Amino acid sequence: MMRENRGRRVPMALSSLIALGLMIVPLPDTIDAFRPDFLVLVVFYWSIESPRAGGLTLAFAAGLALDVIKGVVLGQHALALVLMAAWATHLRLRLRVFSVLSQSLTIFALLTGYQFILFWVDGATGNPVTTFSRWLAPVIGALIWPLLAGSLSRLHER
Amino acid sequence: MVAFRNSDAAGRTSGLLIRCVLFSLLALGLIIADKRYDQLGRIRRFLSVVAYPAQVAVASPFEGWAWLRESFTTRDVLRADKARVEQELRVAQFRLQRYEALEAETLRLRALRENTAGIGSKFIIGEVMDVDLDAFRERLLLDKGAHDGVFVGQAVLDAGGVFGQVARVGELTSEVILVSDAAHAIPVQINRNGLRTIAVGTGDTGHLKLPYLSTSADVQKGDLLVTSGLGGGFPAGYPVGTVAEIHRDSAQSLADVDVRPAAALDRSRELLLVWLKPAPAAPLAAAAAPIPPSAPAAIHK
Repeated sequence: MMRENRGRRVPMALSSLIALGLMIVPLPDTIDAFRPDFLVLVVFYWSIESPRAGGLTLAFAAGLALDVIKGVVLGQHALALVLMAAWATHLRLRLRVFSVLSQSLTIFALLTGYQFILFWVDGATGNPVTTFSRWLAPVIGALIWPLLAGSLSRLHER
Repeated sequence: MVAFRNSDAAGRTSGLLIRCVLFSLLALGLIIADKRYDQLGRIRRFLSVVAYPAQVAVASPFEGWAWLRESFTTRDVLRADKARVEQELRVAQFRLQRYEALEAETLRLRALRENTAGIGSKFIIGEVMDVDLDAFRERLLLDKGAHDGVFVGQAVLDAGGVFGQVARVGELTSEVILVSDAAHAIPVQINRNGLRTIAVGTGDTGHLKLPYLSTSADVQKGDLLVTSGLGGGFPAGYPVGTVAEIHRDSAQSLADVDVRPAAALDRSRELLLVWLKPAPAAPLAAAAAPIPPSAPAAIHK
């Protein structure tokens, strides 16, 4: 078991780095708001797939990376990601037997929760972003979840 | 495998809860420490160095592509470019003749006022990194940081005018908040009559607004706004934008003024980071001289 977990670390780190890159690739302004939170989805994936390989640690580290890159108050994304990754881990046994549609719906709920925590911390620290478009990310994320989960499971099952 | 997970599930949940609570408390602590005590600057600077390779890795393919495209442009394109550049040079030189005359006149007037140009003497050029920071905030990343002496609050200009200011400094990079960011405000004055006010960003790259002008204020479409130099953050006299539209609703006490920024906020690649010279103490006598556009700044000193 330990060996399997350790073997997971490499694809985990690799996919997280790629996702981090995708988060900051420059896009035209018009479609920038439609960019899914790749890193968040990847963290959810690993929290569901192999929580014992350090899903929460990954969530915390990824959250910190997002905080630094986006230049928001330190700990904001970390908090949101840790809470939602824990939730995802809690739901993982059920999620595995869900159909693709219900999986996507669950991911939508998780992403909405994530976005809501960000929104709340934004407001609490005094720089609220109230544009409606920030609530688009959960929808987009839920839509690409089957694609992402499929390709990620290819990556580590080989 | 399955059996292991099932037997594990119950025992694991409490461990998950504990770790979740621990990590959340840690994150909350970070948020509070960062917000309230502002003690995390050093940690953030260190972390930004760690993030730097990722940012460079993302930016470099785009820069490489631009370089490749540039080195394979055809002769025709180059010739067309040359013709265009020559044309522009002629126009520019033509304008420069007037500029020199104007500059001489300005210098004469300044000499009269025994005042020196209070504009930054030292500057470095920072290049915008091809990295998206946040879709909902008007920020960008420059490739100069604390290593080059950049500091928080430093004025950032481009060829057209005021671009923004440094919001956060990393070791090798710095984050610039644009004048159009919804959280950004800059003291300005109308160049025509010296009326002072504050230009606030809207969160939309093409627009600033002047929310603190009364409906009776003397502002016209096409008015040039320049930095007033009040507050000491920005050098005085740099263009910020031109008034694009004014809505005066007589039921309201404040006018709704839309400003188009002078800097090419969505296009500029090279930005100027300016060091302000410590402002020379303007002689009080000069303040009495009726030279409207720059007089308020002198009075302020």
